[in-house]
Amino acid sequence: MADHHHHHHHGHPPDGPGGAGDQLEVIKEQDRLLPIANVGRIMKQILPPNAKISKEAKETMQECVSEFISFVTGEASDKCHKEKRKTVNGDDVCCAFGALGFDDYVDPMRRYLHKYRELEGDRAASSRGGGGGPAGAADPASASAAAGPSPSAASAGHFMFGAAMDRPDNNSSAGARPF
Amino acid sequence: MRQARPYSGIFCGGVSARTGPHALPLARIKKIMKRSAGEAAAAADGGARMISGEAPVVFSKACELFVAELTRRAWAATLDGKRRTVHREDVATAVHNTDLFDFLVDVVTADTAGGTGGGGHDGNGAL
Repeated sequence: MADHHHHHHHGHPPDGPGGAGDQLEVIKEQDRLLPIANVGRIMKQILPPNAKISKEAKETMQECVSEFISFVTGEASDKCHKEKRKTVNGDDVCCAFGALGFDDYVDPMRRYLHKYRELEGDRAASSRGGGGGPAGAADPASASAAAGPSPSAASAGHFMFGAAMDRPDNNSSAGARPF
Repeated sequence: MRQARPYSGIFCGGVSARTGPHALPLARIKKIMKRSAGEAAAAADGGARMISGEAPVVFSKACELFVAELTRRAWAATLDGKRRTVHREDVATAVHNTDLFDFLVDVVTADTAGGTGGGGHDGNGAL
């Protein structure tokens, strides 16, 4: 399922005091990790057929993946702060991989992001019928992929400016980071 | 709601009914990102940080690469131990042996300390 129909204007800051009920704690604990079934499936795909995976190994991998997401997101968020932007986008994540030593991930992820934007651009164009909206007003050209995936962010002027700057970089994977 | 679409050539596989073309749920990834971005923003300028819809999509694929790489290295440790079942300690060994995964040392160390606390424990539930 896609997760693109939210209309929040602000991100929710993390809860400060942890004085929540047990149920809320359980919910938060579950939300902290990716599902063990999905993680286990990816692990199984990598290993030979006769390999087995202990439940504890899957749980450790769950923790490692969440830490990976947090680690990279923190780097991407810092970059946004330095550039006075409020929204972490796909390019920020791709740059963060390189900054943190995951060099082998940068090019494949940029290609993946590019392809995703193409698909979203097609969907956005067909759903909008070619008119209206802040994205249409800001960018009358057919290239609306940058705004399509994040309608809430598109309403912010800063994001559109950032997206415009990022556009040349999307066409060449050689670019390390936008100027 | 968006339909699953084929990513021909570059990426394939990992498709399931629940998460569409992505092997991992985007909403959950976004929640993890929001927590981390919120902490970073609070430390930096106190302002909230928003996550664009495309960022979790990038992570849904990047996490597959990450899990694959760490699993391969864990499996090497499993084979070194003459076993066929990947244990928690194998993941920890892979982390300690790889500079790129330095940021995970505390994660796997905490797991090991809280769990078996040493080698020789083969009581882990296997598949």
